[in-house]
Amino acid sequence: MNAAQVLNGLALGSLLMVLSSGLAMIYGLRGVANFAHGALYMSGAYIAYSVSDRMGFGLAIIVVPLALAVIGVVLELAFFRPLQHRSHIELGLITFGLALIAERLVILIWGEKTLRVRPPEFLQGTSTIFGVEYPSYRLAIIVIALVMAAALILWLRLSNVGLHIRAASQDIETAAIMGINVDKVSLIVVSLGSALAGLAGTLAAPYIALDPGMGNAFLITVLIVVVVGGIGSIAGAMIAGMGLGLIQTLSTVWSPSFAVLVPYLALTIVLLWRPTGLAGKRIS
Amino acid sequence: MTTTAPADDITGDMVEPATVKRGRPGRMLIGLGVGIAVLLVGLAVPYVVTDTYRMSLLLDATILSMLALGIGFMARHLGMISLGHGAFFGTAAYAVGVAITNWGWSPLNAVIFAILLGSALALVMGVLVVRASGFGFLMLTLALSQALYQLSVQISAREWTGAYDGKLITYEPDMTFLGLTQADLINPGLFWPFAWSALVVSGIVLWVVGRSKFGTTLEGIRENEERMRFSGYNTFLPRLIAFVLSGSVASLGGALFAMNAGYISPQILGFTQAGDSLIAALIGGFGIILGPVIGTFLFVYAQANFNFGGNLHLLTGLLLIVVLVFMPGGITGTLQKVYRRIRGKDRQVSDERGRSGRDIASDRADASELRAENEQ
Repeated sequence: MNAAQVLNGLALGSLLMVLSSGLAMIYGLRGVANFAHGALYMSGAYIAYSVSDRMGFGLAIIVVPLALAVIGVVLELAFFRPLQHRSHIELGLITFGLALIAERLVILIWGEKTLRVRPPEFLQGTSTIFGVEYPSYRLAIIVIALVMAAALILWLRLSNVGLHIRAASQDIETAAIMGINVDKVSLIVVSLGSALAGLAGTLAAPYIALDPGMGNAFLITVLIVVVVGGIGSIAGAMIAGMGLGLIQTLSTVWSPSFAVLVPYLALTIVLLWRPTGLAGKRIS
Repeated sequence: MTTTAPADDITGDMVEPATVKRGRPGRMLIGLGVGIAVLLVGLAVPYVVTDTYRMSLLLDATILSMLALGIGFMARHLGMISLGHGAFFGTAAYAVGVAITNWGWSPLNAVIFAILLGSALALVMGVLVVRASGFGFLMLTLALSQALYQLSVQISAREWTGAYDGKLITYEPDMTFLGLTQADLINPGLFWPFAWSALVVSGIVLWVVGRSKFGTTLEGIRENEERMRFSGYNTFLPRLIAFVLSGSVASLGGALFAMNAGYISPQILGFTQAGDSLIAALIGGFGIILGPVIGTFLFVYAQANFNFGGNLHLLTGLLLIVVLVFMPGGITGTLQKVYRRIRGKDRQVSDERGRSGRDIASDRADASELRAENEQ
């Protein structure tokens, strides 16, 4: 085990962290496990491919989250809000249908070929850190993700909107009675969650190859992260995401066959030991 | 509109009607009679459908229906939506392959072994997952079945499962399965009686179990698990038994699938297969035992006829959304609703006499219809 492997783990953990914090936010507020989150992430990566092809990667990292935020608004207005009185499972299965559609649309637009995105010029080389040569772009992923995570936590803790989001996540009915505009809060959360998925997709695009199965492959891991972290807990999801990324990468060095099972083992162990997840909100 | 927050369980609309009229042995006998009649009529299908391709589609749908039947049982009686029943289907299929190819077992023993192994897996998985409800259950079943998929495609599992190459089942030419040679097994017309009988018998068993006292206990748990627990019922064991039972039906399907196909692709355990069978069951509707079966037949038909350029998932995704948003009971649920509305109108005109048990039952259904309308 050397520093490069630890950094690889941090890079994977960073992606999981960004992705799962968005999923956890939506889950906490709407009570719906968004099965379309993997599809949002994938769409983000593909849009990033097209944008960076024409206007450069620097712009993609701003444009893509904005585009995904718009998709999030549509999702909220077309599905989450009108159907909020339906059971959560039904709504979850609707997002499952959306994911199927999105996956097919991505293939129709971009094709089934594996695509590659080049990172910006100044991040293409390697940097020396902890005595190892390490790709600069992966360092950038780690830095961006950590900054984003810190900003998100601070925003939730310190801002008024953050207070409303936390209140509504705790108990959406009581929050509404207390005069919080739950619809507005939900709109912010769903569009922000989608934007985060877009950001994760953009960050991942130059790091991994783009193929239409990338969403599903990640979705299951991210769902596991959210359950392990404690459903609805954003900090729990972030910690679980980073932890899982590290453990999985490091165990790959030891045994690749074992590494693919790590998320499932983690899920089973955590749920047997602490059925409510690490951060302890009830799973139901 | 109700003021309570929506629960994580599926709404009554999805499983309506649960208004089973128990304590009437007559109805049970009628049901059994209908089941046996369906079984006998179905056996004649290969004589009517002579086209091999159509016949193989019908056979595929019949075998996959057993998977959907298992999923439907959990959804109807416990309100638990499973994405993991493909694991039992797939495990049983692989078990047949391994027992015949690697161990040289006779096909019949291999099938029995496969069903037992699939059920044992359901028992182990059930202990881990049935305490969860709603999304917890959905995600746990998904995660554990995907873990199995990951295991099956490992290089180290190649000897058993063939990893990504899949598993080709080969056996001695003189071995037969209930009188069928390997060449006969692949012939859909000759294999049909086994698959059809297995499906109808499984359906009847699940139907009888659903109407028994045990079925009532399950529905009590579905409606309010906490209250059942406080009333002195063990709520864990019934859920576990139901899970294992539905898993056994899926295993039976998987074992027959392997016998007929002679080849097992790792996709059988994959996410897409799990999603497809759940979608098929949902579109058919969970309200009656036939719902998931009808859904599966439609799905297989659509897969064969509307898969323009691989766009099947575009259509199923759309259809899933349409069904969930506009007709939560699936196709069969909507038909029932229409039927009940027509019959309800007739009754209002013709008689206003005393309320029999049946009226109370349909009143309950009407009330839930009202609720559905109010909610819109």
